[in-house]
Amino acid sequence: MDEEEHLHRFGTPLEPLEKDEVPAKKPLAIEDQIVKDENGKRRFHGAFTGGFSAGFWNTVGSLEGWTPQNFKSSRGEKASKVQQRPEDFMDKEDLGEFGIAPQGIRTRDEFAKESEQEQRSGHRKRKLMQPELAGPIPGVPVLEQLLRPVRDKVAVRILKSMGWKPGQGVGPRQTRKEKRQASARNKREQYLLEHYGAEGLPSTNTQRESEVEDEEADDQDEDEDITFAPDDYEPMFYSPKDNRFGMSYSGLSRAPVLSKSSTIAAPLQHINLFGHLEESAKHKQLSIRGQAFGVGAFEEEDEDIYAKDDMTRYDFSLADKQPKQKKLKHVQQRHVIEGFSEDKSDTTHNKPYVIDLPRDFKPRNWLLRRSRFAPLDAQRARKIAEETEHKKAGLGRHDLNPEQRAQLLGESQDKKNPFKTANSASSQQERSKSLLELISAKSNNFTKGGLITTTGEEQPAAPIELGIELQQSNAALLAQAATKTQNLASTTPASGFKPFLENESKQLRYEKFLASNLKDDKEITEFLAELQPVTLSLWDREMEKKEFVQAAKIYRPLAGLMLDRFVSEATVQAQKSEEQVQSTEQHKIVMERTKAMWKPSALLCKRYNIAEPYGGALPEVEKELKAKSKMSIFDYLESSVNTKANFQTPTIIPKHIEAPKQQQQLPKLPTLVPATTTTATAEEEVTAILPEAPKQPASSATVKATFVPKTPLEQAVDASRDKPISEKTDLFKSIFDDSDDEQETTVAQEQQQADVRLDAMQAALGLPSTTATSAAAANVLRNNSPPRGIFAALFKPAQEQQDTKPSDPAPVKFAPIAGNKLKIAYKPREERLKNDRELAMEQVPDVELYGPKLPTQLKQASPDGAVQAEASIDAKLQQLWQQHAPSKRKAEHWVERTLSSSADSDEDSSDSSSDDSDAKAKKSKSRKRHKSASSKKSKKSKQKAKKKSKKSERTKHKSKEKKSKRKH
Amino acid sequence: MPAFLDFNCSKTIDCKQGAVRAVRYNVDGSYCMSCGSDKKIKLWNPASGLLLKTYGGHADEVTDAAGSCDSSYIVSASLDKSIIYWDVSTGTPVRRLRSHAGGVRCVCFNEDSSIAISGGRDNAVMCWDIRTRRLDPVQVMKEARDCITAVLTNEHKIFAASLDGCVRHYDIRVGELTCDKIGQPITYLAQTRDEQCLLAGCQDSALRLLDCESGGLLSEYKGHQADDYHIECGILSNDAHIVAGSCAGDAYVWDLLEAKVLQRIRISDNGGVVHSLATHPKRQELLFARRRDMYVFSTDVQIEEEQL
Repeated sequence: MDEEEHLHRFGTPLEPLEKDEVPAKKPLAIEDQIVKDENGKRRFHGAFTGGFSAGFWNTVGSLEGWTPQNFKSSRGEKASKVQQRPEDFMDKEDLGEFGIAPQGIRTRDEFAKESEQEQRSGHRKRKLMQPELAGPIPGVPVLEQLLRPVRDKVAVRILKSMGWKPGQGVGPRQTRKEKRQASARNKREQYLLEHYGAEGLPSTNTQRESEVEDEEADDQDEDEDITFAPDDYEPMFYSPKDNRFGMSYSGLSRAPVLSKSSTIAAPLQHINLFGHLEESAKHKQLSIRGQAFGVGAFEEEDEDIYAKDDMTRYDFSLADKQPKQKKLKHVQQRHVIEGFSEDKSDTTHNKPYVIDLPRDFKPRNWLLRRSRFAPLDAQRARKIAEETEHKKAGLGRHDLNPEQRAQLLGESQDKKNPFKTANSASSQQERSKSLLELISAKSNNFTKGGLITTTGEEQPAAPIELGIELQQSNAALLAQAATKTQNLASTTPASGFKPFLENESKQLRYEKFLASNLKDDKEITEFLAELQPVTLSLWDREMEKKEFVQAAKIYRPLAGLMLDRFVSEATVQAQKSEEQVQSTEQHKIVMERTKAMWKPSALLCKRYNIAEPYGGALPEVEKELKAKSKMSIFDYLESSVNTKANFQTPTIIPKHIEAPKQQQQLPKLPTLVPATTTTATAEEEVTAILPEAPKQPASSATVKATFVPKTPLEQAVDASRDKPISEKTDLFKSIFDDSDDEQETTVAQEQQQADVRLDAMQAALGLPSTTATSAAAANVLRNNSPPRGIFAALFKPAQEQQDTKPSDPAPVKFAPIAGNKLKIAYKPREERLKNDRELAMEQVPDVELYGPKLPTQLKQASPDGAVQAEASIDAKLQQLWQQHAPSKRKAEHWVERTLSSSADSDEDSSDSSSDDSDAKAKKSKSRKRHKSASSKKSKKSKQKAKKKSKKSERTKHKSKEKKSKRKH
Repeated sequence: MPAFLDFNCSKTIDCKQGAVRAVRYNVDGSYCMSCGSDKKIKLWNPASGLLLKTYGGHADEVTDAAGSCDSSYIVSASLDKSIIYWDVSTGTPVRRLRSHAGGVRCVCFNEDSSIAISGGRDNAVMCWDIRTRRLDPVQVMKEARDCITAVLTNEHKIFAASLDGCVRHYDIRVGELTCDKIGQPITYLAQTRDEQCLLAGCQDSALRLLDCESGGLLSEYKGHQADDYHIECGILSNDAHIVAGSCAGDAYVWDLLEAKVLQRIRISDNGGVVHSLATHPKRQELLFARRRDMYVFSTDVQIEEEQL
């Protein structure tokens, strides 16, 4: 215990353990330990939640919530770059002690040990980056240890911070005088140290004196105020003496003898080729040289080995000795190119060797490859010529030289190359003539040919003139040539050409064969068989015969052959020029005009402010070809007559359905009139409003010309057209049995149909149709094939209802119900006409009308009688459709209700009391007109939504009403 | 019938842009453009010979240029297969249109300069809606069988002359293509002011006056030498005289009706092909291009005196 009292205690002692207390708590397992930051926030998370401390409380938000960065216009400071530091992206914790970029006070990297640095920065070298120990030299590579990045020493840095700059000495600042003194002293000391070492320092007294003198001289310009940093002290390195030479003895240089630096003491010095000489000269005098072992007894003494340098040995003059030498050189080399000097050695005056060449030696550069077109050397040429003489000998033409040949061919020599001919023809005499004479002679030639004009320019002579002259000269030449060739002809077979010269007997045979001048094949064989020796085989005989015939053909004497084949160039030219003259005279420009269709693009027309020709209905070939690749449902609408090319129905579908609706609701006209409540006035007004509405059915046709999308009825009618007449007739009968005149017109129409179609095609092709096309052509243009694809689906419900007899659909479709038929029959004619009118009104182009217009031409076409009739028929058919077709459709009451719920439903019913259906329709129309726009809209939208079903519903309903009324 | 006065050289301008490929007046003749083989177009004042602006941006020789009706744009054709629509005042290319498969030879504006028509070595005539940003041609006419050498247009027609010897009239109003075949390669086409006749410069050293309506050959004008050059021709503003260049450094003026040579304008004694020319839209003034120079010729005596 006593001892314990004397002990010093450091730190706080742990509480003594209770007797039986065993640590109850288990130490937390590592996996249960949670690292928390100063905020008590969990620092580490699972790998899937972002490692550690992701976001703000494990969210992607922040304390402020997610606030976007304020917009800051960078307009003014586009160029300035915002330097982003890694800290900008760090959390607070990252900057803390344990973060990835801890911030605190610590020793700078420069002072820290490497291991410390590593520890601190955490940039521990990864295993992979560590040098491989498995190398040939174990341990850390030597080079890595040796080479370290250069860093200023700490002392240097301290000095620098104190104001020191490299290049100046340390110490108090000096005046100029002091500085000069110091520098002089330094120099001196250094010099002495260099040469004599520390011991040999002489007393500085004498030099002091001289310095004082200098000072006095400089005293005037001394300024005490200006102080300078002291000169940098160049440390003297005292190297330990490692040899036994005398003091300051350097020994012989070990540099190679030839190198010029060998003379200099420092062999490692950089060799300056140009400034070398002067330097070495100076050095020589400065350096102290010596011999290795002194001077021997029999040797001459070197000049003052231990001579001391003094100022007398210095050169004080700027003018060197070397310029003088140079001057001398210049004087010597008078006739030599600058930079060269005369060679004074006698070695060049060698006697040339004389070689005895063989007499027939010809020098040749064997390295030069000879062209095969180069002329052969004479000897070889002769040899070859001798060898091939017999081949050449065949034709007499080799007797002629080129000039003679040219004459034969009618070539005018002087024309082709006057100079050459002059040269070749020039005799010795001509050569002796002066050049001027020659030229004048030539010019004479020229003027003869009319080639040179007074102006001195060369101009082509008139071709015809030339031709005449040439022909004149040619005539003479040809005469000569004829005689020559005649000679040749006579001589050739006998002596001239011997193709089989090697085989004398064969040649003989050949000559005989030629002489015989046989033509017939059999005769030749017989003739040759006599001549040929018995030894010759049959095959050889045959061959020989062939050879002879060939040879006779090829080597025919040239009597006429040449003249036939070759014509002189002059004549050819003359002919050509003649032809040209003729051709230019004869060639008359015959204008040809062709016309073709051309479709200007719509935009082009627009820009030119021109309406598109044919209303843009011209077919465009290129575009169609392109468009064909695209899928179109109209590709499925097959039609027998009207192909896509000549008929344009780009999009019918939507209107297709609306058409019948329009019939019912009557078109809403863009201009609305004030509402009229009474039905009677409404009707009147309708007619008033529509001045364009035709009063007569005749003019209705013109209005109808505007293209209206096909209604199902129309389609059906079209379909029926293709059926046999027998079927049609009963259909027509069923419709028109009450009116005779109309029936007649229908027949007429039927007859005309072919014509109409043709016209329609013409119209579609953009051709102006000669026959008066009717507006009804528009109907014909429609697709009359049975519905397919989408359309099939559209019309299916109607068909299904009708189809009691699916085998015979068309008659069933259009066979009117008995009641209906009756109704039609009872309908007065006037009423029907009215109906027509109404239909015509419907056909007035609506704003909403959709689909392509027909060519305007068709519009303007005057209506025909028959056409009118057809129009009326169409109208009738539509009416019929209105009446009975919808009744076959399925009733959907909810549609009806929406319609009837509108205000005019009551009126509708009241109106229907009158049995004039026309009037009713018109009234409804007028009523609709004065209805508010909003209701219209809503109705429209509803209608659009329900479309067909609604329509059918309405029509059905009405027809029912009508029926019921008529029954009364 | 106005009396013919001889043309005299009033100005010679060294364009300093290599060989001058074409010279053109603007719409009122107060300025002119020269198209150089150095890929640039230069705008000049022909009266003073002052260089006003240089338009650079083509990648090959400029072959033709035309000024818009308000003189605020220039459209130019080049052998680099493109045509460029230039802003006159700023000198910057507004649009560069490339659809031609070959070098473009000729270009023109329609009357209100909304459509540019170009013809090229790819035998195609292309109509460009130049004011919009559309980069493809409004219409392409590929009927020609050889290079298009000249395009013209009036209110409702587009004329295209081709080396295949045909002048094609594209009538927009009628929707019809009329092809007048001459049979000789046509190197240039000019139109009379009354739009009744076309003057076709043919390769066989003849100018031919064609009737637009009937397609008949009205007259032939000979005397100059065309050789193998694409010599241009023109009709003077009074519709009474015809002018054409020649390959021997001169130009010829004919009487339109009588087809006789009125004047042989000696442009240079040193030869050189006078291949391009432009007639002043109002005055009796001519522009010629020969080698590197542009020549202004006029009948005005005063200018001549000034020069003297």
